[in-house]
Amino acid sequence: MRWNEFIIPGIAIWLIQLLIADFLALKTIRPDFMVILVLYWAIKHGRLAGTISGFLIGMLIDLSGTASFFGLSPLIYSVTGYLGGYLMGSYSKLNPFYFSLAWVCILAFQFFIFCMVQYQNIWYVDPQIFWTKWIGTTLYTLCFAGIIQIVYPLHKLN
Amino acid sequence: MSIIRGKSTDIVAFISSPMTWVKSLMFLEEENRLLREKDLVLSLQVESMLNLQKENDQLQAMLDFKKKTKLLLKPAHVVNKGIQPNLLSIVIDVGTNDDVHPNQPVLTPKGIVGKTVETGKNASIVQLISDVNYRLSVRILPSGATGILRWLGDRKAQIREVQKNVDINIGDKIITSGFSKIYPAGLPVGKVAGVYDERGSFQKIVHAILPNDMSSFQYVFVIIEESNEME
Repeated sequence: MRWNEFIIPGIAIWLIQLLIADFLALKTIRPDFMVILVLYWAIKHGRLAGTISGFLIGMLIDLSGTASFFGLSPLIYSVTGYLGGYLMGSYSKLNPFYFSLAWVCILAFQFFIFCMVQYQNIWYVDPQIFWTKWIGTTLYTLCFAGIIQIVYPLHKLN
Repeated sequence: MSIIRGKSTDIVAFISSPMTWVKSLMFLEEENRLLREKDLVLSLQVESMLNLQKENDQLQAMLDFKKKTKLLLKPAHVVNKGIQPNLLSIVIDVGTNDDVHPNQPVLTPKGIVGKTVETGKNASIVQLISDVNYRLSVRILPSGATGILRWLGDRKAQIREVQKNVDINIGDKIITSGFSKIYPAGLPVGKVAGVYDERGSFQKIVHAILPNDMSSFQYVFVIIEESNEME
């Protein structure tokens, strides 16, 4: 494992997220390129690398201007890294549909935890707004994950 | 941890500054046109306000007003809006070097947008009103009823702990109550959009519309001091 494989893409994607994601924002929702990167790393290098890289990326995100729930990002990105690691080498064993469904579910789960914590009061007051927030956030990032699939498919990592 | 977060905020603000500059240039022409229009409107308003001020001065003298509240505002530029998938905080380009410290109110001319939570030397993190942990003690005018405001999504907010027997109508103005060490009284917050009776409770629920679109503003003000000056 070469450290450059992590450091260079990590910094590059962090800069993209920091500088460009705001241009792609739909109202208050923005694509999350960092989680896509963690997913790629986890599928390529496995659970341990996925979890550790997820934690570090999460720390980087929280240090880049998070007002409350400091520590939530390391948690959810570690979860994504850990779950994504299970997909390492599984493309040849799984039906392609289930493989794709698996990573879509992992991303959806990550955003579910995020929204569950960030919008906990909305969940009680108006669940419809909560679901809209969750689905909106998830779908927008999934759109970009889907576009990246065309250029650099996840199964090629296997 | 606070020092690390302050330092990291400085770094993020520094990295984001070229992109902020590019963004400013993109909106320059549009902003210029809007400012010209605003200038004309404000010139007319200033004329009428000068007359009102004269009248107010006379009335104040008559009532023997001793104290006058003055807010010290620090203008700031939004350099970054965080990198989380949802907009919950922003980074502004003023910090401890500009007398900005944690727990100072941040607002636009339309109303409150949040408060500072962490400060570096040249940048600060602002917790937006859209954050789940954000609460604001407010007063509804003209009834004078008070309550606690929390964000509900987009530009909607909810005010709870409002007494049931007060008369509140749609369109009533919402301001800060002053029951806080952070927010001075009288800052604009929003308008009433709906009033609901909570069944089995002695309280009302008031829905409010916030004037600021959280995703669009580029400039804010930080209230760095509230000084009481004797006339």
